[in-house]
Amino acid sequence: MPEIRVTPLGAGQDVGRSCILVSIAGKNVMLDCGMHMGFSDDRRFPDFSYITRSGRLTDFLDCVIISHFHLDHCGALPYFSEMVGYDGPIYMTQPTQAICPILLEDYRKIAVDKKGEANFFTSQMIKDCMKKVVAVHLHQTVQVDDELEIKAYYAGHVLGAAMFQIKVGSESVVYTGDYNMTPDRHLGAAWIDKCRPNLLITESTYATTIRDSKRCRERDFLKKVHETVERGGKVLIPVFALGRAQELCILLETFWERMDLKAPIYFSTGLTEKANHYYKLFIPWTNQKIRKTFVQRNMFEFKHIKAFDRAFADSPGPMVVFATPGMLHAGQSLQIFRKWAGNEKNMVIMPGYCVQGTVGHKILSGQRKLEMEGRQVLEVKMQVEYMSFSAHADAKGIMQLVGQAEPENVLLVHGEAKKMEFLKQKIEQEFRVSCYMPANGETVTLPTSPSIPVGVSLGLLKREMAQGLLPDAKKPRLLHGTLIMKDSNFRLVSSEQALKELGLAEHQLRFTCRVHLHDTRKEQETAVRVYSHLKSVLKDHCVQHLPDGSVTVESILIQAAAHSEDPGTKVLLVSWTYQDEELGSYLTSLLKKGLPQAS
Amino acid sequence: MLFGEVGPLGGAAWTAPAVRSGWIQGLRTLAQHPSALRFLAACGAVDTIFSLQGDSSLFVASAAGQLLVHILDLAMRGPARGRCSPQACDWPACAQKIVCHIEDSLCSIATPQVTQALNVLTTVFGHCRGLWTQGLWVRLSPLVARLLEKDPVPASHSLVDLLLSVARSSVPSSDRGLWETLAQTLSHLSPTQAGPLALGILKLQDCPQALRTQAFGILLQPLACVLEAAAQAPGPPGLLGGAAGDPMTADTLLCSKSACVGLLCCALTHLGLLQPLPQRPSPWPQAPLLGAAVTVLRLCSGSVAPTSDVGGRLCAILVGCGRVQRAALDFLGALSQGAGPQESVTQVFSVLLEYLMSPESSSMVLKKAFQATLRWLLSSPKTPGCCDLDPRTQLFLRELLPVLQKRLCSPCWEVRDSGLEFLTQMTRHCGGQAGFRQALLASEVPELTKQLLQDPESYVRASAVTATGQLSSWALLAAPASPERPGAQQKSLLVELLHVLCADSEGFPRRAVMQVFTEWLRDGHADVAEDPERFVARVLQAASRDPDWEVRAQGLELALVFLGQLLGPRGSHCPCAVALPETAPPGTLAQALPEAAPPGTLAQALQVLCRVQLFEFAFRALFDCDRPVAQKSCDLLLFLRAKAAPCGSPQEAGDSPNVASVEATLQRWQAGEQGQPLGYLEPGAVMAVLRSIDLEGLRDTLAESSDHVEKSPQSLLQDMLAAVGVLGENEADCY
Repeated sequence: MPEIRVTPLGAGQDVGRSCILVSIAGKNVMLDCGMHMGFSDDRRFPDFSYITRSGRLTDFLDCVIISHFHLDHCGALPYFSEMVGYDGPIYMTQPTQAICPILLEDYRKIAVDKKGEANFFTSQMIKDCMKKVVAVHLHQTVQVDDELEIKAYYAGHVLGAAMFQIKVGSESVVYTGDYNMTPDRHLGAAWIDKCRPNLLITESTYATTIRDSKRCRERDFLKKVHETVERGGKVLIPVFALGRAQELCILLETFWERMDLKAPIYFSTGLTEKANHYYKLFIPWTNQKIRKTFVQRNMFEFKHIKAFDRAFADSPGPMVVFATPGMLHAGQSLQIFRKWAGNEKNMVIMPGYCVQGTVGHKILSGQRKLEMEGRQVLEVKMQVEYMSFSAHADAKGIMQLVGQAEPENVLLVHGEAKKMEFLKQKIEQEFRVSCYMPANGETVTLPTSPSIPVGVSLGLLKREMAQGLLPDAKKPRLLHGTLIMKDSNFRLVSSEQALKELGLAEHQLRFTCRVHLHDTRKEQETAVRVYSHLKSVLKDHCVQHLPDGSVTVESILIQAAAHSEDPGTKVLLVSWTYQDEELGSYLTSLLKKGLPQAS
Repeated sequence: MLFGEVGPLGGAAWTAPAVRSGWIQGLRTLAQHPSALRFLAACGAVDTIFSLQGDSSLFVASAAGQLLVHILDLAMRGPARGRCSPQACDWPACAQKIVCHIEDSLCSIATPQVTQALNVLTTVFGHCRGLWTQGLWVRLSPLVARLLEKDPVPASHSLVDLLLSVARSSVPSSDRGLWETLAQTLSHLSPTQAGPLALGILKLQDCPQALRTQAFGILLQPLACVLEAAAQAPGPPGLLGGAAGDPMTADTLLCSKSACVGLLCCALTHLGLLQPLPQRPSPWPQAPLLGAAVTVLRLCSGSVAPTSDVGGRLCAILVGCGRVQRAALDFLGALSQGAGPQESVTQVFSVLLEYLMSPESSSMVLKKAFQATLRWLLSSPKTPGCCDLDPRTQLFLRELLPVLQKRLCSPCWEVRDSGLEFLTQMTRHCGGQAGFRQALLASEVPELTKQLLQDPESYVRASAVTATGQLSSWALLAAPASPERPGAQQKSLLVELLHVLCADSEGFPRRAVMQVFTEWLRDGHADVAEDPERFVARVLQAASRDPDWEVRAQGLELALVFLGQLLGPRGSHCPCAVALPETAPPGTLAQALPEAAPPGTLAQALQVLCRVQLFEFAFRALFDCDRPVAQKSCDLLLFLRAKAAPCGSPQEAGDSPNVASVEATLQRWQAGEQGQPLGYLEPGAVMAVLRSIDLEGLRDTLAESSDHVEKSPQSLLQDMLAAVGVLGENEADCY
């Protein structure tokens, strides 16, 4: 029985470390290869031993697909390809291919810098890994091999994020990665066609949330920044290099322009330039407004946002600084935080999630006295704000996508178990499809009934048309023909054409059946009786009595013979071709009932 | 009850795999002593573990299996237990129970159960060293052997793992029957399944020759089939010494594309792994293997058209298959370690050239082709009597360089980069060989490489920096000498690289420049040797301002090399090494600046260091927000202090008036205000400041990772306490 198997190695009832194995029609695909920000030991990366147990990685896996550049979706990739030893192709969109190495490099530097990890992937490994990447365009069907094909759809979320359809023959799976069903300031909304996959694997971060209007959050954010700057304070916004940072930059830039504010806004070194470069390069991936206005004014060329220099942190007066990394766990953002934390006029706004153990997590959980290196205690007097700007679909969005794709089954990943449970029930109720939510390491198996496409020859169709009504999509009709399998394709053709194509001679196949009749008369007389009986019963058919004494009905031949042992019994030999199978069987059963008594 | 349905299994939390996993972890921590084991066994824990072996979560199931092994090992590790009898009537009850469970599982008709048993046994023989394991094998081996009678053999992967695990343990010394089982398994499994077992057997240190021959035969079969199918005419005996190919292997190769590709890739990879091992089969059929690799590559590229029916079908399957191409190129590269007949080597070079030239080659295939080419070039024999390349290699190089030239202009950054990496390695190893120099200088490759310093892709720019640095070290970058301005080209490279260091927006090229400069300084590159002081001053100035901490760290590395040349290497005491020729390679500071550094004067050396502003750079780095930079600076200053201290200096008696202001500035820097310049430093002041800083203490602090405070138990407690008051909304908002 063909089946689709799905095993999450990460992101099963869990957020972070996305890594899902899918087996479909004998092909094995790994969806995402992420790391977990919350761990710095073995648990940081997915447990790949499950794959290596089935032999060599490269032999087992047909391809790896990366949905977008966030580290919880691609952070383990260099480890997987260069240290565990996967040598096959890796598919991602072009923007992901361009931005992925920057974030991986950032991550590597923090791991080596902050934790002093020696056994970590190197820059060279990141580069070697990126050389294995094959870039895909939106809506382009990429043939991984003769049987496996993949296709990318727009997912919103971050620049270059994509959903992927994986297809082998008539079986298919769609993996959403992270997506956003509402457009934001720089990206559009996710979209997929009615592809009716056997399985839709969707993220479910906001499985139970219907999010408030984004505008409210933006207004709140701007108000807080504005108030702080007005009273002469400094605002620190820790961000990751690319993604949400650009969204907030556009927001502030527009606000500064409108309000004619003078306080400087800085973005930590080099990143604006880099981000600009990529957004310009991949302008088709942004939303319609940005694309439209691009000719007059590039939204990513900021007037008010300048590159940051370390010396600026000590300058007096108000300012806003975007600095990396986003969780205040090392580097420049932490250094600025230390300087500014003691002043109650200042503010830090955390626009995203912080894992446990980071300074970001501590201040968000309300700690105000932080122990730093060298037994120093840092008193946090500055205001601490948290504002979620992450671009995931909410419950409504997820339902919308399921409605759009019309899958046969749904599988939830990248979310918390309790929330998934709720959404699972909702989906099952509304769409009448099965919904699964495996934990990491659990395998979901879905039986499939693959449909096999068959081409029908024009000749056969014409013949069929000539015989009857015009074809109607709503009324299936029976079509007789010969099924030919040639070059891995099935075709239904007329038997004559089949014989011709295959170079075969025609053989007649006849079915024969003996019917015993109690009749003491001579064989010829029995035949006559049979003829008269059939003539009276089968009015629509051509019944003939041939000179040699046999009777025919269409292709069916009936001959009467004497029984070798019992002179009171006659044997009727009934034979017919396979085309008249129905009539032949009917006649046999009719004759078995006996002949009417002669009056 | 602690276990069973009324115990944890009945709880609602048990449905969460993380809880089951945690339960196993807890049990494992508990089961450390025989008395604990007895308690657990009496409470029925083992039955629960049995049931967890079939858990829906792979991770729970695997942990349960490992726990069983741990319990078995602990139970059997009784006092002075020798080799146990297979009947095991004297085995502890707990161990008996586990072994009986394994026996039942091995006899089961359900493959998952057989797999579980085999996996547990694999761990037993892999990790447990007791003599009892031999007894266990004697008891279980008939059941394992019985698995081979089934068709298909169930759980073949796990069976292979188990047999190899047993073969690597102490069992073979006592049970020769194991070899028999291995031989049977080899013949029962399909060619694809048998491959890993064959490789494992050939890696064993000690095993019967007949078994090795059988195993090697299995690895060679697919290639033998390919050779046979592609042969135009009956040739010399192939891989199997004239023996006919195995029909099963031939069937697998021809039955479907995926089976064919899978089998060929496995065979190529396994043989590639075997090639460098000392225990590889001998004689090693180098020539036929070379022939097979070349044939596979030609079938993939479609450049041979076999006349036989089988050959034609193989060709149709393999043509354009990137996976096989990659595996075959890797294998071909591995084969470069052995010699081959001249004709084979010519074929190798020709097929490599074909791949490098082909427009069909994907970027990964090209990368592998470059790597294989490099390996063959580096292993090619030198002309007897001189260290130059032999004429055949020379000829190949002349054909190769135009291809490289073309590849350096590829629209794919991956290809340009792989080309540059190849060029760098080639130059590093062959830069001194006349043949290589001649061929390279006659081509446009050096000029193109230089142009790639302006490549739009930062990875390529970085590789171009490394390549030009290497070319320049071997004086291979010079344009045809213009008589009035000798070396003008080289000088401009130094300026160009300095420009990259100051202006490139990406870290990779800047890091590459620092590496090249460090190498140049260390090796006494001609341009650096001209005026090392000026060179170091310019580089340090640029590096100190760099936003990338790895560039700053590399700057300190360069400073350390400079210090070593000025004051002698680490470990030697007196800073008089300036005058010691053996510490300085030709062309370095010691030779270039004889007049600036009269022997034995620390003060003068310090003057130089002050002039190049090395101290300002190092002090600033000491308070860098990135820990590796601070660490490196700390090491450098400790080195300097150790060098300077024992020798003394006339100026150090009276502290220079600058010391107070220097210290004040350093304190401000430490507080994070790094805006102010340090100003020109007097050597005396530097030494005084150096002595006043607690560098050892700083080094110890820096040695701890920057999150050690956050990771402390107090920190965790604070987090937990604080978490009580946090809104739930924050939790799910990851990215």
